Parts: sequence; structure tokens; C-alpha cells
Amino acid sequence: MSKKLGWKVPLILAVIAAAVFYLYPPAEKINLGLDLRGGSHILMQVETKTAVKYEMDLAISRIGQALKERGVTFGSVGSPDVGVLDVQGTDPARRGDVRKVLDDFFGQWEIRDAGSGAWRVTMPLEVRAAIEERAVEMTLTTIRNRIDELGVREPTVQKEGMEGDRILIQLPGVEDPERAKEVMQDPAVLEWKTVTYPPGTADFGGWMPPASKDEVLRLFGGSLPADTELYPQRLPAREGGGIVTVWWPLNKVSTVVGNDLRSSRRGQNQWGDSVVNFELTQDAGRRFEAATRENVGRRMAIVLGGVETKQVISAPVIRSTIRDSGMIEGGFSLETAEDLALKLRSGAIPTDVTIIEERTVGPSLGRDSIRAGLIASLVGFVSVMLFMLAYYRLSGVNAVVALLLNVVLVMGALGYFHATLTLPGIAGLILTVGMAVDSNVLVFERIREELRLGKTVRSAVNLGFSRAFGTIVDTHVTTVVSAFFLFMYGTGPVKGFAVTLVVGLVFSMFTAVFVSRVIFELVLGEGKPVESLSI
Amino acid sequence: MLQLFKNPNVDFMGWRRRWISVSMVLVACSIVVLSVRGLRYGIEFTGGTEVQVKYVERPRLQDVRGALTAAGLTNHVVTTIGRPEENEVYIRIALVSQEEEEDLTPRIVSALRPEDVRSKLAAGLANLNIADAPTLDRLLETNPDIARDDAAALAQAIVEARRERAIFRSPADLGGVPGMTPAVSEWMSSRTFAGPFAVRSQSYVGPVIGKELIRKAFLAILGSLAGILVYIWIRFEFQWGLAGVLALVHDTLIVLGLFSIFRLEMSLPVIAAFLTLIGYSINDTVVVFDRIRENLRVRGPGDLAATINESINQTLSRTVITSLLTWFVVLALFFLGGEALRPFSFVLVTGIVIGTYSSIYVASPILVEWQRWFPGRKERGSGGAPASQGGARKVRTSRSS
Repeated sequence: MSKKLGWKVPLILAVIAAAVFYLYPPAEKINLGLDLRGGSHILMQVETKTAVKYEMDLAISRIGQALKERGVTFGSVGSPDVGVLDVQGTDPARRGDVRKVLDDFFGQWEIRDAGSGAWRVTMPLEVRAAIEERAVEMTLTTIRNRIDELGVREPTVQKEGMEGDRILIQLPGVEDPERAKEVMQDPAVLEWKTVTYPPGTADFGGWMPPASKDEVLRLFGGSLPADTELYPQRLPAREGGGIVTVWWPLNKVSTVVGNDLRSSRRGQNQWGDSVVNFELTQDAGRRFEAATRENVGRRMAIVLGGVETKQVISAPVIRSTIRDSGMIEGGFSLETAEDLALKLRSGAIPTDVTIIEERTVGPSLGRDSIRAGLIASLVGFVSVMLFMLAYYRLSGVNAVVALLLNVVLVMGALGYFHATLTLPGIAGLILTVGMAVDSNVLVFERIREELRLGKTVRSAVNLGFSRAFGTIVDTHVTTVVSAFFLFMYGTGPVKGFAVTLVVGLVFSMFTAVFVSRVIFELVLGEGKPVESLSI
Repeated sequence: MLQLFKNPNVDFMGWRRRWISVSMVLVACSIVVLSVRGLRYGIEFTGGTEVQVKYVERPRLQDVRGALTAAGLTNHVVTTIGRPEENEVYIRIALVSQEEEEDLTPRIVSALRPEDVRSKLAAGLANLNIADAPTLDRLLETNPDIARDDAAALAQAIVEARRERAIFRSPADLGGVPGMTPAVSEWMSSRTFAGPFAVRSQSYVGPVIGKELIRKAFLAILGSLAGILVYIWIRFEFQWGLAGVLALVHDTLIVLGLFSIFRLEMSLPVIAAFLTLIGYSINDTVVVFDRIRENLRVRGPGDLAATINESINQTLSRTVITSLLTWFVVLALFFLGGEALRPFSFVLVTGIVIGTYSSIYVASPILVEWQRWFPGRKERGSGGAPASQGGARKVRTSRSS
């Protein structure tokens, strides 16, 4: 081996070794896209406007209350547009008081005195952006939590879209997305409800509802009071494991609903047990204070769920009056307390979500796609190789080695990036072969031309590579340009296609130009003049 | 040595006007077809619901259509997909109005369900072609002879078996499932039935997404055309970039016209294929351009048409071999790659042929015509007078003259 080649061969071997290392074992390193392995892809829109609107509604009720407390009369408080709040008909003589109230509530907002007792408060863009961002973040957390509850393995839940107000959910292996969709769209509304005790109950704190609806009805003497409804709670059975469902008679009208919750997190009480701490908004705090005062020693139920699936998650005994913050004790483990806190937080999602895109591929279809894609790739690849061998003889072997190497390197790169192989990705991989062979053809045709002009074998090879090089760069750049725009504007599987294409092109520069030339140099050796070249 | 062409010497440029006319006629036809027939857009663009269903028996399409209409799903497209013996039907319901933002899959599935299936479901039997692993697990757990862990494993095995064969024809098929005993199989057959179809894939796209995608597809195609124009402009000269991009527009329009004629469906992968075609088709043009530039350096800019002729002839075997090889690959994809990749590979199968033609008969003739129409600039540029050499680009083509 010549000195000139000294570092090149080890470099090529090292690159191959790296590719094999990152690729092996392929089943672990290469993720199959949902279109190949089967599963459900769901895109959700978070209605951030609703979150802002909710915030405005809250402000309207708060400001009315505060003005009343200060004894300022006013005509109306309303929101003519999102982010704008109008107070009308206040007493112009009490300008100072009105400004004080508005300043207290809307420190960062822009407050304008429109004259003759009318005021306009405008929500600054930063505040609005913060509300919107929080709405998305909370929805994201909730959905993650819900999906984990579903037991889906390796789900993807991430923000998506230019505005960052969409959530992309990928659920591998989910064949019937209806259930997943139902659970994820569940508004997860949290409600606090007072318990309607059956007549004659003595121990309010220790009372537990029975495990059948009929039994509850019997306790109430046949029918429930008009303001009462039954809600289920699933509890671990006292004996023998399993789950029992008990039915709580609860007040239809909730004391506090999820939107009233400011925050909730897992904590500890003085004995070190896990509890859930929560904080209510000011307004809800007042209602809660009244309700808890009347219900000390009784249970209040925490109900979670949407319209169809409401259920009691816990029914703590109220130990003392609670104002705006409190603690839920219930013999929680660390995990259940964390879960409940999460659910409570998720109950505070101040907005709606809608599914705007959904794709589900059954695993059997994915399997068929893989099979068809692989057969097509193999047939395409083999026919390219056969042509190269027939047309360029021994130099064709050189091209085939370069092509095989190209495929290995692309797969290695995909393994390194933990890329996801999609159906268009397979197409990209096989197209890369078609394009990579172009570089070999360009070089070989050029070498043939130089040989026809009477050059020696060695100089023809050198000229062939150097003259074709500029052209090869040009053809690669133009293809990369279009792949770049594909990546910019494409989504999902199409992005995977663009990535595969670009990676393949980059490596084809290496294999078709560098590796192929090294092979020629190895074959031609050094010193002795070479009489002929099989090309 | 095996050679496609032995010293080819075709007078490509002599025929340029005739071929440009042919191209113009083809492009005009495409535009007419596109404006009259239009394109068939997939639900990615229109919004709507799409379901692919595999039947046990070969379905009668008019029955499927009738069932959908009866259920109030009137705006449907129902076609077979794949080979006829695969018994697969593809149902698409585009969004009619923007208000109607609803995933229709549950309604479609329930509309397709025949009466006897409904009564079996009502009687509490499980549909083997729809039930998921947890449902089967719960069913198996009611069998006192099966341990809880075994039930879960068996339910999983049944679902795996369904993946393998795509559909169960009858509960008797359960006999072949690993871990299934004749007793359990017997027990299952009285509690399950094989519905007449299985859902292979389902998609729903809301109206917002469709509008966005059309915009993005448009931007992607315009962006890559502009990017290529600028790149060739930098590497060569403006009119070369223009000639290359016009050839690309020519290719894209003709393939779009074919797409319209064959009623193929525009989807995201098809847009990807068009962009790939753009990136691929320009390669042939760039290879010829590179050679023209190289020859101009040697021969000078005297007879541009002759130089172009020589360059095309020199690169002819490369052009044809590369196109042929890539064509092998996309033909394999087209015939063997499955239904999902067919529209995608159609773009490339037709596009590569048209792209190869256009790099010879569209891009290069434009260069010749440009020189005839704007001779002044060209002569100044190649005159060699330093003062008139407007920029580095001009210098490059005339350096050796």
C-alpha cells in the first residue's frame, strides 16, 4: 500500500465501523414510524383564545365585586373584545377610588380614563402571551398524564406549529384510537360537591356509601332528593383485592369547579404522609369558606371528569373551615398524591381542545407496507447493481461497493440520530441509491472519455475524478436545496423523507468520490504503468 | 467495452424549435387539462375523513355506497384499493362545509355494519376483527379455566395473529393462534364472531390543516425553484438559471397534467415526490451546463449552438444511464412498493422521462434562443475588453477566450 493511501483506508474502515456500531442492533436503533409499525397520530388545537376569554370573565366578576366593596356604583363591566375590559357609568366624582381599584387588580395592564365615568382596561400582549402559553403547557401536561394512564408505550406528546398552540400526540400500537381520543379530550373538570347524607346518618365523617345504586336508593327511601345525583367512586376492595365501585349521593350544584383552582401540588402533612395541597382563586375561596364552615366533620367529594364520565376521586372529611388553600388527606402514597395533584391541576385547564388531524394505521397495513417497501427497494437496488456490473465490468464492482457502503452509512446515520423510518423514508433511501449512482456514472463516463482521448490509465482516472468533481457538487447542491424546502414545509413522514435524502446525498459524496477513488488507487497500485482498465 | 452510444453526434440544437414547439403544446395541454379536469386532492388538503377497510368477502361497491347514503353520509368517494383479491375498499368523505368539523370514522364503521352484526354485538358477542387486546383479555378472564396471566398473553396472541393475517374469516381461525387450546377455541367460538370487515387505517383532517398544507406545498415548490435559480445564477449566469428553472416548470406542469388525466390523488408524499423530481431533474441540466461551460472555455463563445450540441453529445451516455438507473428504482417502487407509494412513484416514473428530455430539448435551446434575442450583452461580455466585463460571472465563461 502506498504512503499516499496511508490514512485513507483506516479512515474508511473507521467510518464503516462507526456506522455499524450505531446501527447495531437495528431493531433498537431505528424507530419505525407509525405508518409502518401501526398506531395513532393525533394533532390537537389548544384554543388559547378561550383561555384568554376565561381570564377576562374572571376579571369582570372580580372587578365588579371590588367596586361594590368600595361602595362605588357603576353601570356595567364588560369585555367588548378579547383583552379589552370596559367599566361604564361610574361616578365621575370617585375617579380616585376607581383608579385605585383598577390599579390594584390590573397592575400591569394599561388603564385609560375615557371620561365621564367610563374606563377602559387593556390586557398587554405579554400578559396575553403568558396566559396562552400557560394554557398550552397545562394541556400538554394533562394529556401526557392521561396517556400514561392509558398505558401506551413510548408515546410522543409535544408542542407543534408556528404558534406553539398545537399538541402532537403519537401513540404507537394503538389500533382503536376512539378510546384514547375520548380520554384525551375529556375536559377533566374538577368539582367539589357536598354530600347529601341519607336521612338518619349519625357519623357524618365515617359514613361511606354502599357499592350499589339500589342500595343508595334504599337508604333514601326509594328516590333521591331533587338536588342530588349519584357519582361512582372506584376503590380497592377491603378483602381479596380487586376494585369495588361505591355510589356517592352528591349535590348537583358544585361548590367549586376546576377553573377556580389556582394550583395544586403534592405535599406532606405533619406526620409525613403524602397529601395534596391546593390553592383556590379569591372568588372561589369565599364560596369554599362558606361551604366548608357548614360542613365541618362531614365529607366533601372531589369529582373529576367530563360530562359522561364523572367520578369521585376522593371524599375527604372536612376538618376545619377552608378559605383559599387547603390540604387533601386520604392515605395517599407518594404516587397517588402526585397523580391527584396532577389531575387537580389538569382540572384547571382553562380552555378547550379540538382534534384537527388524526391518522391511524393498523399494524397489519404497516406490516404490508414494510414488506412491499423492502421488496421494491431490493429489486431496484439489485437491478442497479447488475447494470453497473454489466456495463462497467470491474469498475462496476467498485461502484457496487460504494453503493452498498452508502446504504450502510445512511442506515448508521439514521441509527445515530435515532431517526424514525417512515414509508416515504424507505422511498427516500432507495431513491438515494438511484442518485448516488449518478456520481459513479459521471466519473466513469469521464474516465472513459479521457481514455478515448489517449490518456494513460492513471491520468485518465485522476482527470475523471477531478473534472467530474465540480459537476457532482453542483448536482448535490441543487438536490439538497429542494430537500431543504421539503424539510422546512413538510410535516411528519415527509420530513423523514427529506432527512433520508439529504443524509444519503452527503454520504454519496463520500462514497462515490472518496471511497471509489481509493479503491481505484488500491487496484492500480503505484509505480508500474497500468496497461488497461476494466471500465 | 459496453457502450450505449458510440461517439454520438446528434444535431440536437438544429431541431430545437420543433421540440420547443412540442413542449409548448404539451404544457398548454396540461394547463387546459388542469383547468378543466382539475386535481383530485386527498383529505390532507380538503379536510375530511378517510377509512381503509378490508372485507372477508369481495364487497360490492354499490352496497357500500348505499349503506353510507342510508346513514346520511352522502358526500362519499368509494373505490377499491390494491389488487381485487385483497377485498379492500377505500372510503373518503371530504368536508362539505367549514362548520362540519367532525371525525366521521365511527359513523362510517357503524353504517357499514350489517344488521346481523348489530344484533350479535347487542347480544354481547365480541367482534374478532375490531376488538382490541384489553377487550379480548376481559372476555378471556371470564373463562374460569384460564389463569389471569394466560388470558392477557392469549389476548395479545390473538391481536398479533390478526396483524399477521389482517382479518379473521371466522372464529375457527383462532385455532391457529399460538397458545390456543381446542377447549378455549371452542369456548371462544360461542362468544365471538368474525365481523365482515376490519379497519386497516383511518384518518381525519380538519379544515384548518388543509389550508395550511396547500400554502406550505406552494411555498415549498416556489422556494426550491427560487433556490435552484439563485444557485445556478451564482454558479453560471442568470439566463442559465432561468433556462434550468423553466425546464423544471415544464416538467412539473406536464406531470401535473398526467396526474389530472389519471385521476391520481394529491397527497403529502406526492408533493414530496414533486420536490424530489425538481431536485433530480435539474441534475441532468446542471451536468450539461457544466460541460457547456467547460467547452466554452476551450472553444470560446463563437458558435454557442455547436458548443451546446457537442456538450450534450459528450454527456449523453451519462444522462441516459443515470436516468435509466433511477428509473429502474422508481419503477420497482411503482410496481412493488405497495398502494401507499404508487402516486408518489408515478410522479417520479413519468417525471424522470420528461426531465431527461427537457434537460436536452428545453433548457439548452433556451440558452441558444436567449443569445439570439439578447446578443448585445453576450458579445460585450465575451469581447474581452476589461471595461465591459460587468462582473465575475461574465469573466468565468470567457476566461479562456
